[in-house]
Amino acid sequence: MPDAFYRTGSGRTVIRLDDVEKSLLRSLSAQVIEFVAPDDAGDARDPLAIMIGIDDEATAPVDPALARLLPDAYQDDDDAAMDFRRFTERSLRETKAAHARTVGEVLERSGEKVTLSDQEQASWLGFLNDGRLAIGTRIGLTDDNHAEIAALPDEDARAGLLDFYDWLTYLQESLVQLHLDDLS
Amino acid sequence: MRVRIAGFGRSERFAGIADVMLSSVRDNGRMSIAPSERTALSEETVTERPWVTLVWNDPINLMSYVTYVFMTYFKFDRAKAELLMLDVHEKGRATVSNGTREAMEIDVAAMHSYGLWATLQKDD
Repeated sequence: MPDAFYRTGSGRTVIRLDDVEKSLLRSLSAQVIEFVAPDDAGDARDPLAIMIGIDDEATAPVDPALARLLPDAYQDDDDAAMDFRRFTERSLRETKAAHARTVGEVLERSGEKVTLSDQEQASWLGFLNDGRLAIGTRIGLTDDNHAEIAALPDEDARAGLLDFYDWLTYLQESLVQLHLDDLS
Repeated sequence: MRVRIAGFGRSERFAGIADVMLSSVRDNGRMSIAPSERTALSEETVTERPWVTLVWNDPINLMSYVTYVFMTYFKFDRAKAELLMLDVHEKGRATVSNGTREAMEIDVAAMHSYGLWATLQKDD
């Protein structure tokens, strides 16, 4: 399989995406924004939860996917962890939403060949990781149950989400390798 | 008092951790060679600043991505970044920086923005 992201002769970073791929990523971008953006308007329905039919009554600290994106900074000190959250969580949410927004904007560009600036690449890396964290946590992925989830019947949403997750992994790995080569 | 740094068997593996993000922020993007707030190799410094940032293993983050984050944020070279990444992967966690509590909170917030699972605590 060719690398998803690649560099042109003149050093520009490019990804080729067809319309279906673009629309999948646009959808994920919108969902990540809904999921993480600071919520000033009360209880919006969680679209990632809707996507696989999970009860979204859970509040933010209880939802494992959101807890994975916005983890506690202290393991054994709840007061310190809450203080840290009060000071940093909003900014963390805004950073993640901004990455997703940037990706959404890039995906609006026409054509299959999309060129990314350095800053856009950083947003893509963050966004792909956040998307994988949210989906991976939602489908209950562990170090050793990948094959088990992949073998679930098609009716089970987790099987399809795992395919999507694997594709995101492939995209992220490809972009990370370009950057590791740059740094080394 | 000798303070053990979790995840590090030998002090030389620890030596390069001094040059990290805060120094580049203070020096307006240029990496500092002078000891940063996280230089904690002397016993006195360690005693005064007994806080560490831990990065924990999870089943989702890519090994390559964790290496990339360590190289990008902490300015580790690839060999050091990969050693720490393997510690995370194989031992379940690694100490990636130490210093004042405030400095560690900045590091933890940065790790969270990259999507790594990080906590800070007093060194044990």
